[in-house]
Amino acid sequence: MPKKSAEKVVDEKLVVGIDLGTSRSAISAINGKKKWVESYVGWPKDFIARKVVGEPILFGEEAVQHRLSLDLYRPLKNGVIKEGTARDEEAVKELIRHLISLVQAKKDAGKIRAVVGVPAESFKVNKVALKKAVAEYADSLLVVSEPFAVAYGVNALDNAMVIDIGAGTVDFCIMHGTVPSEEDQRTVLTAGDYIDQQLFNFLEERYPHSDFNLNMVRRFKEQFSFIGDAGKPVKVDIPVDGRPTTHDITEELKRACESILPALVESTLELIAKFDPEYQDIIRKNIILAGGGSQIEGLAEYLENVLDEYGPSKVRVVEDPLFSGADGALALAQDMPEDYWTDL
Amino acid sequence: MATRNPADSIRLKNAILRGVYDDNLRIASERQEPKPIRQNSRRKSLVLLLMLSLIAGGLSLTGLFSEKGGEDSHQAFAVATVHQKEQLQPLPTVEIQVPVPVPVPVNTFSATTSYILRPPELSAAEPLDQERLLDYSLILNDDQVRLSSVFGLDVQTIVIDPGHGGKDPGAVGVLKTKEKDIVLDIAKRLQKELRQNGKYNVLLTRDVDTTVSLAERVEFANAGRTDLFISLHVNALPQKRFNVTETYYYGPPSDPETLRLAEQENRSSGMMTKDFENMIKKIGNTFKEQESANLASAIQYSLFTNVKKYDKNIADAGIKIAPFVVLLGVDAPAVLVEISCITKKEEELKLNMPAYREEITTFLTQGTIRYLERRNLHVLKGEENAQEVRRKSS
Repeated sequence: MPKKSAEKVVDEKLVVGIDLGTSRSAISAINGKKKWVESYVGWPKDFIARKVVGEPILFGEEAVQHRLSLDLYRPLKNGVIKEGTARDEEAVKELIRHLISLVQAKKDAGKIRAVVGVPAESFKVNKVALKKAVAEYADSLLVVSEPFAVAYGVNALDNAMVIDIGAGTVDFCIMHGTVPSEEDQRTVLTAGDYIDQQLFNFLEERYPHSDFNLNMVRRFKEQFSFIGDAGKPVKVDIPVDGRPTTHDITEELKRACESILPALVESTLELIAKFDPEYQDIIRKNIILAGGGSQIEGLAEYLENVLDEYGPSKVRVVEDPLFSGADGALALAQDMPEDYWTDL
Repeated sequence: MATRNPADSIRLKNAILRGVYDDNLRIASERQEPKPIRQNSRRKSLVLLLMLSLIAGGLSLTGLFSEKGGEDSHQAFAVATVHQKEQLQPLPTVEIQVPVPVPVPVNTFSATTSYILRPPELSAAEPLDQERLLDYSLILNDDQVRLSSVFGLDVQTIVIDPGHGGKDPGAVGVLKTKEKDIVLDIAKRLQKELRQNGKYNVLLTRDVDTTVSLAERVEFANAGRTDLFISLHVNALPQKRFNVTETYYYGPPSDPETLRLAEQENRSSGMMTKDFENMIKKIGNTFKEQESANLASAIQYSLFTNVKKYDKNIADAGIKIAPFVVLLGVDAPAVLVEISCITKKEEELKLNMPAYREEITTFLTQGTIRYLERRNLHVLKGEENAQEVRRKSS
């Protein structure tokens, strides 16, 4: 069934899967293109800034680089459309428009179908608003929770658990052969951003005279993050009074990365314990780590060790954490029967 | 999963796809017909009566402006409501606008009105001074005098009451947006803003999605020292073509008691002592009514004039008097705001946007703060006012 409808779709429509994240948003299109941007949107502050940056609006890395000339927005804080200003809603819209334009061959070419994966929490709270934000740029679309999209992408549809460690949230989702309900999902707010903040605080404490910012700290984390035993010491260059100096941040990095473990482990155990006892063994052997946080070295092993106390377990990491959500959403879009689309 | 055979796995996938589809249909299907919530003849007659009352309200407004043209228009607006109420009394509309078919506890608020009279000189233990009592009875019958200013009453605790909740979703829009969620969110924002704006103690009757009965809300408000009570609701008027915003307060249909009492007192006989308690109650009622009307007008004014910028077609249903249970039961001045109509799809979409809810909150805050500021102004003038009234009476 899925093959057929997918082929039919290729001719006339652009089918895309989008993963809207706090830190990064990714798109994966049926024409094979895959793009991602940092979830930053920036508008020039005034006409001089407009001239300097040369664009009416900037996205991702580019926006961060020009942040001094821009009103910079990271619209999906903690996974939900950030509250307060209309600008944040607009930023979400622009972000989606930008993502679609990245994979679109020509402007206004054909109709667009999209499946959008949004963080589990925002799915609950703000689905209508999100759907409206997306609706302007896609002709028909479906909204699904992000861990579910990941699960669909790796074909873990039955008796499996996805732990999606993002920047703003860690989303847990148990799959048992149906669309996960609210009880099957859980969100914890100690995620990537939390590690950054912890690391920043620890480093500030240890190296009060060094100059670093949250952005640099995030880069250190993305490059070296680990838990458990460090293979070799982590050394980075941080300027002190303007002069780059090598700092050993091994201990701080370890502590920061491990700071998310208690909540992570607790939620994992709780969700499994809530599940039908007969199937708990199977779920324990079918745990999938996704999202940027899945790249923390030693995390899968650590989790396996903890779970082994309850019975044999297996934790694996998705192959491409950056695109696993978008790819899953795309797979879902392709498999969706034609008549469902026309109805939407 | 590895043990599954291919046919099973396809069936599973199909079921899941179907589930995703259903889920999304539920979120924002345009195909669900907007079902009229209550469409019957009674409803039609209500609309008719509503229009009648509007016309009557308009008449009374024009009448008012002709008799006191020079006044600041906003002030006049506030006073108008008091007049409007009097003129409306013969109409049966008030009785029919009851959306909450709950038996009305008649005298719930007579029990503990004493805290309203905070100034120490009014404690019942003090020997009664005939002259002073005479003064108060005059004040009671003078529309121009605000009791809050006469007694120098301040506002400390504001209770915000997000309507419905828990099992009771309230009005539900076409896209399945529930009133209970919208008003809870706005209530929380309002709480935050009012806390920032002044040094008020702001409480919510519920801060989570849980069922709270009307009686429990009233009890909650009366248990603490509530000075203002604001109930938030969203309307459902499927038949209306335009969006509507309106604010209610509770007013007793007529008040011959006050008049009779005043007459008795003016004759200045020994009956006064006996009626003292009764009069205190009356002061409480008049106070509550005056302040409720003022608060209602301030909120309605701010909400309507601002929302109009977004939606030119929004109708101003104005300030209405209706015997809602929460309004009657709460001792403190109380109003009920119907923010807008969730049955209008555009409005429903807007209500789903956090930014719009934030705006609405700002308008509500502005209205409330304006009321509080004006009230403070009056309190300052209160001394003067009271003196003037005394002069008049002597």
